Amino acid sequence: MWSKVYTGFGFWDVYTWIIFFALAAGLVLWLRSMGRSDYKKGTEQDEIFYGSNEVPEDGEDIQVPASSAYWGFVEALQPYYEKLLQIHTGIANDYVGYLVVTTGILAVLVLI
Amino acid sequence: MNWQIHLPALVLAIPLLGAFAAPLAGLGGKHIRNAWFIFISVVTTVLTMLLWQKVAAGGPAVYVLGGQAWNLTLPSGLTWPIRIVLEVDAFGAFMAVVGGIVALAGAFFSLRFMEKFSGLDKFVSLYFLLVTGMLGMELTGDLFNFFVFLEIASVASFGLVAFWRDRPEAVEASFKYMVISTVAAMMVLIAIGFLYGRYNAVNMAAVGQMLHMGYAEKIALVFLVIALAMKCGTVPMHMWTPDAYTEAPAGVTCLLVGVSQAALYGLFRVCFSLYGASLDSVVVPWTIIVMGVLSMFIGVSMAVIQKEIKRLMAYHSVSQIGYILLGLGVGLLALRDPQAMADYGFTAMKGGIYHIINYTVYKGLLFLTAGALYYAAGSRNLNELGGLARVMPQTTFMFVIAAAAIAGLPPFNGFVSKLLIYESTFAVYPILAVMALVTSVLTLASFVKVFQTAFLGPAKAKFAHVTEAPGSMILGMSILTVVIIGLTLFPTWALSHLVEPAAKALVDQAGYIAAVMGGGL
Repeated sequence: MWSKVYTGFGFWDVYTWIIFFALAAGLVLWLRSMGRSDYKKGTEQDEIFYGSNEVPEDGEDIQVPASSAYWGFVEALQPYYEKLLQIHTGIANDYVGYLVVTTGILAVLVLI
Repeated sequence: MNWQIHLPALVLAIPLLGAFAAPLAGLGGKHIRNAWFIFISVVTTVLTMLLWQKVAAGGPAVYVLGGQAWNLTLPSGLTWPIRIVLEVDAFGAFMAVVGGIVALAGAFFSLRFMEKFSGLDKFVSLYFLLVTGMLGMELTGDLFNFFVFLEIASVASFGLVAFWRDRPEAVEASFKYMVISTVAAMMVLIAIGFLYGRYNAVNMAAVGQMLHMGYAEKIALVFLVIALAMKCGTVPMHMWTPDAYTEAPAGVTCLLVGVSQAALYGLFRVCFSLYGASLDSVVVPWTIIVMGVLSMFIGVSMAVIQKEIKRLMAYHSVSQIGYILLGLGVGLLALRDPQAMADYGFTAMKGGIYHIINYTVYKGLLFLTAGALYYAAGSRNLNELGGLARVMPQTTFMFVIAAAAIAGLPPFNGFVSKLLIYESTFAVYPILAVMALVTSVLTLASFVKVFQTAFLGPAKAKFAHVTEAPGSMILGMSILTVVIIGLTLFPTWALSHLVEPAAKALVDQAGYIAAVMGGGL
C-alpha cells in the first residue's frame, strides 16, 4: 500500500514527491513572510498596477478573454487548424461518412 | 442460500427497478422522487462494490438467467450455453465499480441542478435506464445481450442529451448522436449475426472457444471494433462527442463518461476475450494504436481553441480516450508474444486500465464543476466567465484537483497511469510516447486557460450575485474528488487490487472461456 510503483523501467514514489512538495511550500511561505506588512490597506498602496492608469471598477474591462489565449500558438499552426476545422463540419452526414469510410479502410486492411 | 450469488443479476435489476418505479415515486412528490433517486443510486453502487469484492475473492462469477440453476451454464449435456449468461471477471467488476461511482456522483449533483426543470420523473427513469445499459454491457457474457444493453444505453442517452428540449442545440446534438449510433448499432448486430451464423451461438465464451479466423469472422471483427470505437468517441468518429457532452445536463455528462467506458470495455472484451489468440495479424492492434494517437492529438488540439467550457472538456474526453486506446492497443499488440507482454505489454495494459478509472473520475468531476459554474453564473462561455474563485472556493478547489489530474501533473493519479503508458509505449516506438507527452502538455495548457479565465482575474460586476454551488452538488463533486485523492495517495494499492487483476483477467482468454464452458458449477 505504501510502496513504490514500479513501471518496469523506473519507479514512482508518491510520498517522496509529497515531502518535496511540503518542503517547497514551506520555502514559499518563508519567502512570503519576508515581505513587508507595514503597507497601508485601502490606499493606493494595495491597488493593482495597471500601467499607471486608473483601474476600471468592473473586472470585465480588464480581463483577457479566453478566445485571445494562446493566440500565437494558433496563428503559428494556422494551416493545421484550418484543415482540422474543415473536417469538423457539424453535419450528421459527415459523421456517418467518417464511420463508413473508417470501416471500409479497416475492412480492406484486415481482409487483404 | 447466500444472497451474494445473485449479485450479477441484482446489479442490473436494481437500477432497472429504479427506472420503472421512478414515475410512481414521482407521484409522492419531489422529496420522495429525490429520495428514490439517491437510494437506488447508493444501492447500485454498493452492489457493484460487493460484486467486485466477490470476484476478487472467488474468481469470475457466472449467473444464468432463466435457467434451472443460477450457476448451471451447460445443462443436460449441452455443448454450449443457450441461455443468457452474465459473466463477471475482474475486468468487468472493475468497470462496474467505476460506472457505479460516476452514476452516484451524477445523481447527487443532479438533485439541485435539475430541480427547476419539469419532467423529472422521466429524467430519473432515463438516468437509471442509462445506468442499467452501462452496467449490462459490462456484466453480460452474451453477445446479443450486449447489443440489447448497448441499445438501452443509447436510447436513454438520446433522451437525456435532448432533455432540455427547448434548446435547439440539444435536440440537434441528440439527433446527430442518434443517427451515428443507429448505424453503429446495426454494424454490431450484423457482426453478431455473422458470428451466430458461423457458430450457432451468441455466448462470448462459447464463440471465443470455437472461433477460427475466416472472412465472416474478420468482417465481424471490423464492424465490432469500429462501432465500439465510435461509441467511445475515437477519432475520426468522435464528432458526436462534443455535441452530446456539451448539451446534456452536467450530471448526465458525468454518467456519459462512464457509458463511453462501457463501450471501450466492449471493444477490448471483443479483442481480448472473443478473438484473443485467434487475432493472427497486427492490423487491428495497430489500428487501435493509431486511432489512439490520433484521438490524443486531434482531441487536445481542438480543445485548446474552444471557448465553451463543456465543449473544451468534451474534446479532452476524446484526447483521454486516446491514452487508453494506446495503452490497451500496445497490450493487444504484445498478446501473442510472451516476451513482449512481459517486457512492456502488461505494463501498457495496466496503464490503460488504470487510466480508465482515472479518466472517468477526473473527467466526471470536471464536467460537474463546469455544471456548477453554469448553475451559479448562468454561462458556459469562457469569454464571459471570470473571477469566480472568490465566490466558489470549493468548486475551484475541486476543479484544480481534477485539472491537475487530467494534465498528468505529479503527484496526481493521472500522472501514474500516464507514466505507465509513456514508459511502455516508448519500448514499442518512442514517437508514441512523445505524442502522449506533447498531448499532456497541451492538456495542461488548455486547463490553465480555463482556470485563468473562469476562476481567476478580477471580480466582474455581473457576477456579484453568484454564490457557491448548493450542498448536494458539492457532495456529488466531493465523491469524485475523494476517489481522485485516494487513487493519488495509494497508487500501489489501486494497481495491485484493482488494476492488475483486471489486466490479468483481460489477457486470460482461457480463464474467461473456462468459467462458462466448464459448466459453471
